[in-house]
Amino acid sequence: MYTVQEFYDNHKKELSLALEAGGEGLDRRIRKPEAHRPGLSLTGEMRRFETARLIIIGRHELDFLRKFDTLTCKTRLSEILTPLTPAVIVARGRIPPKELVELCEKQQLPLFRSPERATKLLSRVAFLLLEEFAPTTTLHGTLVEIFGVGVLIQGDSSVGKSEAALGLIEKGHRLISDDVVKVKKNEHFQLVGSGPEITRHLMEIRGIGIVNVAHLYGAVCVRPNKVIDLVVKLEEWDSQHFYDRVGLEQKYIDFLDTSIPYHLVPLKPGRDIVLLLETIALNHRLREMGYNSAREFNAKLIEAISKREPKRLRRRIAK
Amino acid sequence: MKVARNVKVKNSLGLHTRPAASIVRLLQSFKSAVTFTCKNETINARSIMSILMLAARKNTQITITAEGSDAEALVDRLVRAFDNEFGEG
Repeated sequence: MYTVQEFYDNHKKELSLALEAGGEGLDRRIRKPEAHRPGLSLTGEMRRFETARLIIIGRHELDFLRKFDTLTCKTRLSEILTPLTPAVIVARGRIPPKELVELCEKQQLPLFRSPERATKLLSRVAFLLLEEFAPTTTLHGTLVEIFGVGVLIQGDSSVGKSEAALGLIEKGHRLISDDVVKVKKNEHFQLVGSGPEITRHLMEIRGIGIVNVAHLYGAVCVRPNKVIDLVVKLEEWDSQHFYDRVGLEQKYIDFLDTSIPYHLVPLKPGRDIVLLLETIALNHRLREMGYNSAREFNAKLIEAISKREPKRLRRRIAK
Repeated sequence: MKVARNVKVKNSLGLHTRPAASIVRLLQSFKSAVTFTCKNETINARSIMSILMLAARKNTQITITAEGSDAEALVDRLVRAFDNEFGEG
């Protein structure tokens, strides 16, 4: 449940919000990531009016309301201020009309004032709300950025995720989060991973303990968040399992209804995991640029085979 | 077998590094998969970082869920550790 209080706490600085009235209603729920400029609704046109939207009142609306006497102004306003309305913001730092203040006090509806323009507020509030409403989840794994590719390393405890990340950092790649990754789906349907505030840039390495990599290796080796482009699962080498040997088919794994390219990499003493991860990331970049090593090779091979056939036939005929 | 039980953090400093380490150490001798659920967040209890992320203070309610052959014994042992404040009492 997302309340106006949370919205106010998180964004009052950015939107320069000041509470004017209706403070008792701060526990009102925001049900939809939508904001609305009443405009037409103030003229009495209430068909298709969405009640659960946050209302932003700009210069235009204020000037229009001034044309009415107190009673009409109140009726018009009370039509748009429903029990489901989360809050009202008056733009451009204008002093809200006393009818609005009275109604908000009476209905315990939070009324804010902001120096921003209504158009800007509308887009900012909608964007912020969309972000707050984005589906999120917490994943077990280590998120690193390798050559600009966001790679989520997963695998059982003690398989060597943190060690792999440490090796990558040492080579100049970046850590986003170790062990716990908070994932949010953004408006482009990408998954953005970040570390929880409290364990940010910390790693736990067996035999050493908790280290802060930002302090050890400097600010260059960390990043606050990153889109997850790839998932690599590390596991102990299982001789029964057939691992991908050619890479013609891309496997995918789903998180929050989004498919992400997925690789299963078996570990064995002597396999350089850092090098493997770097290669996977580079290969992914190459694919993004339109070049698929395995497919390209296969195409060449097929071409070579089809060319050679007639020659061989000819020779056979000559014999 | 799946076992779930609620516990409360009792030691005054909450789940800080030392209790987290003792939880992880305690779990080493068990095979079942264990998760903690706290404030709508479910984490793997075998990971110190995950436990620390919860930043659970005193009197926070945590749901322990264990699944596996030794789940019952594991949960018992964990609840006892929580009750005895991880020896910090």
